[in-house]
Amino acid sequence: MDRDELLRILRAFEAEGLEYVLIGATAMGFHGVIRATEDVDLFVQATPENLARLRRALRAVYADDASIDEIRDADLLGEYPSVRYYPPSGDLFLDLMTRLGDAASFDTVEAEIKQVEGIRVRVATPLALYRMKKATLRPLDHRDAAMLAERFDLQDGD
Amino acid sequence: MPVEKFRSGEEMNAAPVRAVVANPFDRFVRHCSRYRSIFPRRYPRGVFKFRTIEEAQAARDRVARAGSGPSR
Repeated sequence: MDRDELLRILRAFEAEGLEYVLIGATAMGFHGVIRATEDVDLFVQATPENLARLRRALRAVYADDASIDEIRDADLLGEYPSVRYYPPSGDLFLDLMTRLGDAASFDTVEAEIKQVEGIRVRVATPLALYRMKKATLRPLDHRDAAMLAERFDLQDGD
Repeated sequence: MPVEKFRSGEEMNAAPVRAVVANPFDRFVRHCSRYRSIFPRRYPRGVFKFRTIEEAQAARDRVARAGSGPSR
């Protein structure tokens, strides 16, 4: 993952006023629970205005990428709540989600603000990440949940 | 200063350790970069959509295994 590219994305999100919450391994990284990843997972608020902000932010970073137009309201607000965007850089990709099953969405995930290089980044709390990771089936997510539990002294009942 | 010289063990023990304490964000991106340099992958380009998180994860796993992209 390219540091400058990730910072450009986060700066563009802030500049456009995107309503989002960072989740997944990148969010864990902000909390000091470090494992390698190449994707940036985020919940975005599911409104047409916010999805327009998302597209503007991505165009600000990847100016010549026409595929950004394929991130459509009809999908993210409809049958396809998860859209993956592979930018031209090839160094990372973004998982853009409006909801995660019935379990979680932008509106339900607890978040806190972290600062990096003067950029305000909205990151899911360790407890919110732990709950999301615990609720899935992938062994990798269960390992993440265990790391979060150890680091933040979280219990099964949390 | 990448190299420091000492005339004795005592002198070395007395010298401060010049550790750079990175913030979590920098540790995270450095770790990811190291990982990518060890396991370089080719990704597809563009936008892919999924009905469920399980579909999305399965597509990611296929890309990781193949080193190339899923069908659109």
